Amino acid sequence: MNQLPTKALAGELSIYQPHLMEIIRVIPETGDTKTFHIQFLDSALRETFSFLSGQFAEYSVFGEGEATFCISSSPSRRGHLEFSVKRVGRVTEALHQLNQGDIIGLRGPYGNHFPLDQLKGKDLLFIGGGIGLAPLRSLIHNVLDNRSDYREITILYGARSPQDLCFKYDLETWSRNPAVKMITTVDAGDKDWKGQVGLVPVVLEEIGPSPDGAVAITCGPPIMIRYTLRSLEKLGFLPSQVWTTLEMKMKCGLGKCGRCNIGPLYVCKDGPVFSYEEIRNFSSDEF
Amino acid sequence: MYRKITGEKLKKWLAGLKAQAEVLAPARENGLWTYRNFDRQDFSPNFQNSHLPPKALFLESLRAMFEWKSGDGSLRLNPLSPPDGQRVIFGLKPCDAKALKILEPVFAGDYQDVFYLRNLSRTLLLGQACRAQCEGSFCGEMGIDPQDSADFDVFFRETPEGYIARVITDRGNALTGGRDFFGEASEEEWNLARGQIRGRREKHLFDLERVKARAAEYFPDETFWKRVSAKCINCGICTYLCPTCHCFDLCDLQMPGQGARFRCSDSCAFPDFTKMAVHNPREEKWRRYRQRVSHKFNFFYQNFQAIACVGCGRCVAHCPVNLDLREVLLEVAR
Repeated sequence: MNQLPTKALAGELSIYQPHLMEIIRVIPETGDTKTFHIQFLDSALRETFSFLSGQFAEYSVFGEGEATFCISSSPSRRGHLEFSVKRVGRVTEALHQLNQGDIIGLRGPYGNHFPLDQLKGKDLLFIGGGIGLAPLRSLIHNVLDNRSDYREITILYGARSPQDLCFKYDLETWSRNPAVKMITTVDAGDKDWKGQVGLVPVVLEEIGPSPDGAVAITCGPPIMIRYTLRSLEKLGFLPSQVWTTLEMKMKCGLGKCGRCNIGPLYVCKDGPVFSYEEIRNFSSDEF
Repeated sequence: MYRKITGEKLKKWLAGLKAQAEVLAPARENGLWTYRNFDRQDFSPNFQNSHLPPKALFLESLRAMFEWKSGDGSLRLNPLSPPDGQRVIFGLKPCDAKALKILEPVFAGDYQDVFYLRNLSRTLLLGQACRAQCEGSFCGEMGIDPQDSADFDVFFRETPEGYIARVITDRGNALTGGRDFFGEASEEEWNLARGQIRGRREKHLFDLERVKARAAEYFPDETFWKRVSAKCINCGICTYLCPTCHCFDLCDLQMPGQGARFRCSDSCAFPDFTKMAVHNPREEKWRRYRQRVSHKFNFFYQNFQAIACVGCGRCVAHCPVNLDLREVLLEVAR
């Protein structure tokens, strides 16, 4: 009987096995959202690990399971990775219990990424809502670290209330940056609120950015994305000028486990970044 | 290349292989057919197919992938080896072997699932021609010949004297070589060994090409999917019994100081399959049934150029509410 071919596995991880990461910092963003700064325990991986803005990873809390989050830090800022988590279920609840020094797992990076090459030389319009700023933030930092490659940069960010604004430290830095036009809005302000009041798509139409030579990138709750896409169309943006990210339940992140598909497309492999043009042509409305 | 062997010698040959490999063959256990360690059992002419598909021998319903030990704030991961040791399975049917091949590109590709791929590469598949049409089956409609298949290492047709074997792979050739058990057979003997299939339909129920062509067109038809899925009770048995259903979950087991992560079977029939924090894109039953049928006959075909159904009929035969996939396909093809 022939010997079957055997594949050496020594030192080779199965695709489902995460790398160990140490939490080096926890930043409370809002009442239910935290940002985690993490670092590979394996110092060689700190140097070799690379990703692109828009990509995601699978994060493990051993004993609770895995969950999917985008990498919210920029590939242009190396050393550690950042991701942000809203407390909504089993794994996110477990993550929120963790502190600096605790160990988690990470598999990735997975999925496609924002089309950085197509953004060069363009006016960039970032439109974010709530925790949806996380993937945009990776791209914004990436773009700001190579500021001269782009023309005007406008960031419109909204949340339900001033308390629900994420990444306040970034918002502050960006609003002080003369090379960035920063607009912050909330659905309902309080007595100290100095920004805009109103829903993101409404404020967007008020600012009325020109679509000429511009690209819009939006991410946020599905309902916000839906109306923002409509507003952008009203402003004259072509579907090919608009990019967004989609969210679906994922387990493997590798196109195998069979649940994150929208029609024949797997958000984990064919996404999570899609142009509005692609989304308009989807055969399925299940997203 | 064709070879022949008597029934008695076949059993001796399989028993001899046990020195080098785990040998599995059809056996009836508690009234249900399964593949069990070969123990010189007689091969009953009543064996049609295993009650459960053999997929669990390849894509285990529970597969531990790595484990961890924790304590004093430290954590150590220990990868678990993929399955090892050679294996021979005798008596598999063309539909189930086709299903294993259909699943291969899902687990191969740019991210290789070593657990599934190793199970495939370590197993020699010895197929056996069918003699009767299984309850609920539509293998013919799905383009599967129940009496021939290239998805095995060796494929056997039973004759009154024993078996005529079609040797398909090099591994199959090596396995059946030598003069001790097998003799040479001619193509004519092979062709003669093709017998009748009891209960075989004269005419196909539906035209698969029409299903392929029209599946995408039917996708947006909410009324259609609501009607055909109306009696479904979300029990998931169709996915459990399906040789090509492969959707899985990744789950943790935690015990004091240690734990493990498993890849385990899941089902698109269950409402929480796609449930997210605030949104479930397939909350309604008709969307889940549409997903199952569309995944098999539309999306999988678009992504892998194969239909993820082999017509084995298990889902039809065992659905507790008699939801007959063949009727749905017939309507799509009409």
